[in-house]
Amino acid sequence: MPAGGRRQWSCSTAGWKIEYHFALSGKIESMSDNVQGYVNYFEILDLDETAKPGEVRKNYRKKMKDLVFEISQAQITEERRAHYLLEMAKLNAAFCLLRDTASREAYWNERRYLIELEEMWREAAARSGNAVESDALRREFDSKVRSFLAKYVEELMLDAGRDKECVEASNWDEAHERHASRILRYYRHRLYQQILERLPYYEVTPPRIDWEERQRTIGRILAGSAS
Amino acid sequence: MKSDRRRSPETKTVEPELAAKALAKAVCEGDIVNFRLVFSPFSPARRSSTERFEAEKYSYLLPDDDLEGSMVFKEALQLVQKTETWEHIQKELEEKRPAQMPSELLMVLGDHAVRAGKYTSAAQAYELLRIRPRIQEEYLRQADAALDEGNIRKAVRGYRIATGLAYNYAAFPEPLPNVPDYQTRALMLHGQYPERPEDCVALQEPQSFLSTALSYLLLDAEAAARLGARSVETRVMFLKELVAQIDVDWNEFTERFHDTLQLAKEFGKRLEQHTQGRWLTPRSLAEEIDQAFGEDPHKITAHLLGREIEGGEWWQYLKELAYKHPAGVLFISRQSVGEREILVPRYRADSPVPAALGLLTKSG
Repeated sequence: MPAGGRRQWSCSTAGWKIEYHFALSGKIESMSDNVQGYVNYFEILDLDETAKPGEVRKNYRKKMKDLVFEISQAQITEERRAHYLLEMAKLNAAFCLLRDTASREAYWNERRYLIELEEMWREAAARSGNAVESDALRREFDSKVRSFLAKYVEELMLDAGRDKECVEASNWDEAHERHASRILRYYRHRLYQQILERLPYYEVTPPRIDWEERQRTIGRILAGSAS
Repeated sequence: MKSDRRRSPETKTVEPELAAKALAKAVCEGDIVNFRLVFSPFSPARRSSTERFEAEKYSYLLPDDDLEGSMVFKEALQLVQKTETWEHIQKELEEKRPAQMPSELLMVLGDHAVRAGKYTSAAQAYELLRIRPRIQEEYLRQADAALDEGNIRKAVRGYRIATGLAYNYAAFPEPLPNVPDYQTRALMLHGQYPERPEDCVALQEPQSFLSTALSYLLLDAEAAARLGARSVETRVMFLKELVAQIDVDWNEFTERFHDTLQLAKEFGKRLEQHTQGRWLTPRSLAEEIDQAFGEDPHKITAHLLGREIEGGEWWQYLKELAYKHPAGVLFISRQSVGEREILVPRYRADSPVPAALGLLTKSG
C-alpha cells in the first residue's frame, strides 16, 4: 500500500473507467458535506469499509434475525409491510454486494466517483452558471447517478432476493419480489430526489421564494375558491 | 414560392411579441405543457427552429381576443416582459442547449394552475421549483386552520389541492404527478369477496369507515390520517363536502341508490335463498318457476350504475361506477348470485354517514 494509507483502485465496470485515489480508512464524505442519496451498504450493515467477508456475513445474519423477529412481533399494516420489505431488501443487497471483494470495490468506486462528480458539477455551476462546461458535467452526472441507483438499488435488491443464502435467511420469495418492485422503484426515486434537491438548479433559474408571500397567496387561493 | 417548411432557419425571424404572448397565455392558463413547448428545441419561438407561430397548428399557443383583453393575461404579459425576465428568455431561446426556464413565471403558472384545478400542471411547476412538498404542507396547514374555525368548505378545498399536488415516485419509468385513479382503488377496496360483514367497506363501524372513505377519496392515506383526531361529526361533515366537491352529480346517484334499495329488497328473498344454498336447487315448483322466469338480479347492478353493460361482470360495473361517482363504491358490496356476482347497495343503519350523504332519502 502506498505511503500515507493511500491506495490506487482501478475500476472498469461497464460504462465506468475511473482511476481513483482515496484514503482506505478515510472518509470520502469529507469531499462533500452531503452524501445523502448515495446508498451506503456498509452503513446498512454497520460496517466500515475495511470489513472482511466474515464480518459481513455475521452482521447480515444478526440484523436479518432481528428484523425477522421484529416482523413476527408486529401487527402488519400496508405501511409496515412496505417498510419491512424495503429493510429486508436492503440487508439482502448489502450482504450480496459486500461479501464479494470485486463487486464491493466496483460499487464503492462508482459511489465515490459520483460524489466527486457532483462536487465538480457544483463548482462548475458556481463558476459559470448554466454554461456549456457545467451542462456537460450535469449531463454526465445525471446519467451516472440514474444508472448507479438503478443498478445498486432496484436491480441489486431484486437480484439479492434470489440468492440462496438470502432466501434461507430472509424467506424471500416470489410474492416478496412482486410487492418489492414498486417499493424499490419508489425508494430509488426518493434517493434521486434527495440528491436532486441539493444540486444547482438547471431546468429553471434559482427561485427567490418569499414564504410569507406564498402563505398569503395560498390563503387568497383558498379564500377565493371557498367563499 | 417556397413553403414555410422549406425556409432555411437562418432567414427566419421570430416576432418577440408572439413569443411573449404565447408564454403569457401558458402562464395565465396554468398550462405547463405549452410553457415548456415554447422553450423546447423545436419551439416556434426559437430562430434555430423551422417551426413558426404563424402556422395554423400553433394557433392554440396564442391568446384569442377575449383572453388578450382580460386582466389576468395582461398581468401575465407584463410579468413575461419584465426587463430582467425577458432578457433571460431571449438569451435562453438563442442558446443551443436545453433552456433554463424563468422560475418567477413558473411560480405564477403554478398558482394559476391551482386556481383552475389543474393540479398535475401545478405539481409539475412546483416540482421544478423544488417547493412542491412545502407548498402541499402549507395548503394542509391552512386547511387544518380552516377546519378549526369550522370552515369546512375551505378545509376540503385545501385538502383537495394539497393531495392533488402529490407526486407518484413509483410511476414507471419516471415519477409523475398523482392522478385520480378511483377505478383502480375501487377494485382494491372490493378485491376480496366479503365473507363476514366487517369485510365489507359499507358495513364497517363509522370510525373505520370514515378513515377508509377519506383515504380513498383524498387519494392519500397520510392526508386522511391528519383528520383522524377530529370528531366523527366533523369528519362526516368533511366527507359530505368532499363528496359534493368531487362529484357534482352525486344527487343523481343518491336517487338511483334509493331506488336500487327497493329493488334489492324485492330480490332479497332470492338472495337469502342463495346464501342458504338453496338457490341452485329449488325445493318447490314455485321456486323453480321463480328462478326460471323471475327478474334478473343483475338489474340491481345496472340500476345502480344507471346503464346496463351487456354481459358485464361486477368489476366492470364497479370501475365505471367509481369513475362516475367515486364515493358510490363505498356503499355497495359484492354478492354472489348463481355462478356470477352482482353489486348490491349496502349501508350500515347505525352510521350517521349514509343519511348525511343523502342516501336514505328520495330527494337526495
